[in-house]
Amino acid sequence: MEPDVSIETGAMIRVAVLPIGHIPASLLRDYTSMLLRHHTIALSAVSSFYTEHQKSPFANQPWDSGFLRFSFVIGGCTSSPWEDFQSNRKIHSVIGICHCPSSPDLDSVTDQFNSACKGYTSALVKRCFAFCPSDSQLEDGSKKEGNLILFPPADRQTQEFHLNTMVQDIAASLLMEFEKWVLKAESTGTILKTPLDSQASLSSEEVIKAKKRRLGRAQKTIGDYCLLAGSPVDANAHYSTALELARLTGDYFWYAGALEGSVCALLLDRMGHIDPSLIDEVKYRYNSVILHYRKSSIQDNTQRVSPLSFELEATLKLARFLCRRDLAKDVVELLTNAADGARSLIDASDRLVLFVEIARLYGAIGYHRKAAFFSRQVAQMYLQQENRLNAISAMQVLAMTTKAYRIQSRATASEELLNDDVGSISANSGKVHHHSVVSLFECQWSTLQMVVLREILLSAVRAGDPLAAWSAASRLLRSYYPLITPAGQNGLANALANSAGRLPSGTRCADPALPFVRLYSFPLLPSQADIVKRNPAREDWWVGSVSSGPFIYTPFSKGESDDSAKRELIWVVGEPVQVLVELANPCGFDLRVDSIYLSVHSENFDAFPISVNLPPNSSKVITLSGIPTSVGQVTIPGCTVHCFGVITEHLFKDVENLLLGAAQGLVLSDPFRSCGSMKLRNVSVPKISVVPQLPLLVPHINGGDGSIILYEGEIHHVWIGLSNAGTVPVEQAHISFSGKNQDSVISVAHEMLKAFLPLKPGAQVMLPITLKAWQLNMSDPDTLSGRNGLGSTGQHFKDGNSPSLVIHYSGPITNSEDSTSDGNIPPGRRLVVPLPICVFQGLSFVKARLLSMEIPAHVTENNPIPTFGESDSSEDVAGSEIKMDKLVKINPFRGSWGLRFLELELSNPTDVVFEINVSVQIENSLSGDNLVSDQDAAEFCYPKTRIDRDYSARVLIPLEHFKLPVLDESFLLRDSSADGVSWSGSFSEKNAKAELNASIEKLISRIKVRWQSGRNSSGELNIKDAIQKALQTSVMDVLLPDPLTFGFRLVKGHAEVSDNVETLNSKNSVLANEITPMEVMVRNNTKELIKMSLNVTCRDVAGENCVEGSDATVLWSGVLSGIKMEVPPLQEARHSFSLYFLVPGEYTLVAAAVIEDANNILRARAKTNSPDEPIFCRGPPFHVRVVGTA
Amino acid sequence: MATTACFIIVSRNDIPIYEAEVGSTVKREDAAHLHQFILHAAQDIVQDLAWTTSAMFLKAIDRFNDLVVKLFLNLVSIHTRLMLLHDSRNDDGIKSFFQEVHELYIKTLLNPLYLPGSRITSSHFDTKVRALARKYL
Repeated sequence: MEPDVSIETGAMIRVAVLPIGHIPASLLRDYTSMLLRHHTIALSAVSSFYTEHQKSPFANQPWDSGFLRFSFVIGGCTSSPWEDFQSNRKIHSVIGICHCPSSPDLDSVTDQFNSACKGYTSALVKRCFAFCPSDSQLEDGSKKEGNLILFPPADRQTQEFHLNTMVQDIAASLLMEFEKWVLKAESTGTILKTPLDSQASLSSEEVIKAKKRRLGRAQKTIGDYCLLAGSPVDANAHYSTALELARLTGDYFWYAGALEGSVCALLLDRMGHIDPSLIDEVKYRYNSVILHYRKSSIQDNTQRVSPLSFELEATLKLARFLCRRDLAKDVVELLTNAADGARSLIDASDRLVLFVEIARLYGAIGYHRKAAFFSRQVAQMYLQQENRLNAISAMQVLAMTTKAYRIQSRATASEELLNDDVGSISANSGKVHHHSVVSLFECQWSTLQMVVLREILLSAVRAGDPLAAWSAASRLLRSYYPLITPAGQNGLANALANSAGRLPSGTRCADPALPFVRLYSFPLLPSQADIVKRNPAREDWWVGSVSSGPFIYTPFSKGESDDSAKRELIWVVGEPVQVLVELANPCGFDLRVDSIYLSVHSENFDAFPISVNLPPNSSKVITLSGIPTSVGQVTIPGCTVHCFGVITEHLFKDVENLLLGAAQGLVLSDPFRSCGSMKLRNVSVPKISVVPQLPLLVPHINGGDGSIILYEGEIHHVWIGLSNAGTVPVEQAHISFSGKNQDSVISVAHEMLKAFLPLKPGAQVMLPITLKAWQLNMSDPDTLSGRNGLGSTGQHFKDGNSPSLVIHYSGPITNSEDSTSDGNIPPGRRLVVPLPICVFQGLSFVKARLLSMEIPAHVTENNPIPTFGESDSSEDVAGSEIKMDKLVKINPFRGSWGLRFLELELSNPTDVVFEINVSVQIENSLSGDNLVSDQDAAEFCYPKTRIDRDYSARVLIPLEHFKLPVLDESFLLRDSSADGVSWSGSFSEKNAKAELNASIEKLISRIKVRWQSGRNSSGELNIKDAIQKALQTSVMDVLLPDPLTFGFRLVKGHAEVSDNVETLNSKNSVLANEITPMEVMVRNNTKELIKMSLNVTCRDVAGENCVEGSDATVLWSGVLSGIKMEVPPLQEARHSFSLYFLVPGEYTLVAAAVIEDANNILRARAKTNSPDEPIFCRGPPFHVRVVGTA
Repeated sequence: MATTACFIIVSRNDIPIYEAEVGSTVKREDAAHLHQFILHAAQDIVQDLAWTTSAMFLKAIDRFNDLVVKLFLNLVSIHTRLMLLHDSRNDDGIKSFFQEVHELYIKTLLNPLYLPGSRITSSHFDTKVRALARKYL
């Protein structure tokens, strides 16, 4: 079988082209390509070289429209045994090609050529073309006669013209030779033999038959020559005769041959005018040709030589003729039949040719998968012979199938994609390519794909092409690792390594192997270097700009518009950046990635390679870094990986597609999930722009990076140093705070920073900051109220509770002309310095409660009721007390009825000693002095309370000065509402509550508990909540006065008596057995008149009423009970009486009153429910000390 | 008689969603590959044929050596094709086989968890197909 047969093959003059002498391959290719261009020579061009020696047998030669066709066989071939049967199989001419500079001796060239020609007995015309002869050779050659033709050195065009002329000359010579041959054959006849005949035993009958046949065969052969001579009409005439004769003699083989020739003649005759009827005619005739060839092969079935190849060739010829999309069905049928015939072919090379042709034809009608199938069959045939050349052929054939099996190497795929784009419009319709969709997912016909890739690998290894082997192995490993056993994976890894060993180092391959690389994230710039876009229109340029970080939400942009759908990253020239990528090695061997770095095509980025080891079935997130080198955009399509000795580029997009396919079940497996990596949301590569250098502030907290340990409430000063580590000065800077516990920063030296601007590169500024440690567990008031003091144990490290110092700063605005165009302003930066405060629990508050103290007052001459209105008598009292003794705060004569103490119980769970200093600020408009009551439960006279570690102590705070002067409606309204009694007051409940709270607040704010520990730490205890809690319930009692205040005093008129008493150092004591005039004073604290009935009782130490009864020890004059009084608002009323004590000792005077016609205020104060209930007021007890002898 | 048969379901996009060697001959790996290769190559012909015929069952659309490719087109989604490569002549049996498998495939399609066009991984389907193959082929 011959390759590349078509119907027209019958009309082609076969010319052997032989290289003579040594010719460099490239030159030979050059010369032959020049020659090959002249495969068709018009008869009109030939005519000038043609001389008619005798009458031409080609009577109907179309001199003006006909052609001679050449088929050049480069390198020559052996003569075919069938050349008598088909004359076009003969080599009719030999052309030698010689490159003169490499073969100087023209004589030897001629000799070589002549000896080469000896092999071609059928050759009628022989020429040797010698190119590029030197001058001497030209001279030498011009003398010589013969076949050597010298082509003088000239430009290509001239040479081609020269060559064209020579070929025309050859054509003319051949034409004349053909005429001679035909004339000879017509006159004398010729013996024509085929391998079919040679075996036939010549019986007598056979001989006669053969004679008859000979005539027909001669006619057929003459027809062949007519075809070669370009005269289809003559050929047709001879073929008709031959057909007739062959039919008569039953010579089916030659009949088919003649028929084939007649079709060829028909086609040549109708050159260029192919219409459906012609196609039908050709189809019909060729089917008959095939039929007759088959008949002949059946007939000669016994013979060793089968004409089957002619049948197949005829099939292929017809298929090639019909090879169009719309006739695909016919072609498929023909080719399927041809493929069936392959099994009967004995010669392996015939089968090879057949399959090659079938594959080509399928490819031509667009059946790529069919073509691939037969190509693979061809490759397998090549692979059956284990030598290098066959392996190379196999590899090349297989490489052609990769597109159909969708396992293309990326290098060829990208080329073809380009071609597809160009030719997509002209692409044949009907055939729907899902390439774009399907190519995303490579594992569809995985079995086939793996088989083909393995075969490519095998052939490449055998052919000694390490790069192709590497590429095939990498494709196999990357796409089909789930289908390959660990041992197979290891084998592939070895194949990769072996191939790489034969490759020069630094070889690049378009097909990535392992690992799988996907984008993990673009890490946020460190908070020190965060970039903020500048809003040039505003003074505070950082407002309204979103952080450059990859997070849509950042705490810093809280409350601002978060509609930044397109993420954008800003990198700074010269500052290293990092990108996180995840690598996966789903295979069963240790993978060593020699180097991996970001692959950036924009050429303004220096990537730093790193090397990674990946254990089997593992994934790893690694950080790839680099430095942007110039301003502009940066795109990162993937990573460049140097693994298994070859450099490949791994695109993120591929892996994304793979993962997408895995999600849809189209791809075998997700390499990352199989490695145990978490499913990751798709990270898209953001738009990255590089901006010019920016200043860079580096913070430094004085005293080291360790956290500042503070006790709750401690006040501390910190120095923060800011140095500019960039190359651009800082021109603007602004400090703000963020995070929790912002109020713990008391002051920052804003002006100091401003004063240092612009901060030159390398310069440093120190900023003082005053901090006050916050309370721990502020959200849990129960803990603070002290019921469970253990609740607030433990240390709180800096767990996000610390506030952060946020400094927005920026460099200079580059140029004035740049600033006009918006967006060219270099961005500013934000420095976030978390203040590393670690707050320890300091003094803890255990309990706060109100204690009341009832110390009865002594009855004296002084007015016992302080008048709040005009002159502050209490102040007088206080003043006298201060004169007397600074530390004694309780006036024993006034008593302390109604005096309350706030007792704070503090515990010290820490390791240090605390000293507590409680101060109460007294609200006093007149003096305004702060009465510092340093009191302690244990040591009265020490100003500070010392609490040792693990101890607790109580601090008392007197609250006596908090009483309000007037019992007002407003307070009672609150009171009543608190009690739930509906009250038609003018105040809204809300207002009232707020006012109450305000008054409590005021009360509390006057109490300050300061502490000091050691020499350095001091602070304040936040006890507001605790006190408030303690006061909440009894605030009424603390704040509100009773409606009536009672008091007793000795009447002044008794002075002479008291003079004696004073010698006893008790001017306020009363003598026994003496009439003692006294007054009971009642003060109305309300704004309304109060009517009442007053009673005065006197009790002795035992509490017995000593005024009434049979054994009364006290005699009295005046009225002591049922005294009706009316006290005007805010006024006092007095009632005088006298007592006569019979027995010296301690007596207690108590005044009590029943208020008549009480109004609602009073009722509310007394917390009575029914209006009929009498309101009873009782004053504090007053002591009377009666001295004397019984 | 030992038969060779390879059954395959091809979805749109020409992706095989189910493959099974249902022949009774001893399995050889390279033979299995060859079957798939033939079926893959037959796609070209199927693609053209599917648009020119209204028949659901197409006999012998392609052949290589003794192996014949038969085709059953799915009406539900025209692009899904059931293809059988075999070397037997039992056309009726093959037709019944196709019909039954088609029914099975429809049932699979009705499964809301099955994404049309993805691989059929159900072992139940596999077992059923093999049982049908034993019955009819």
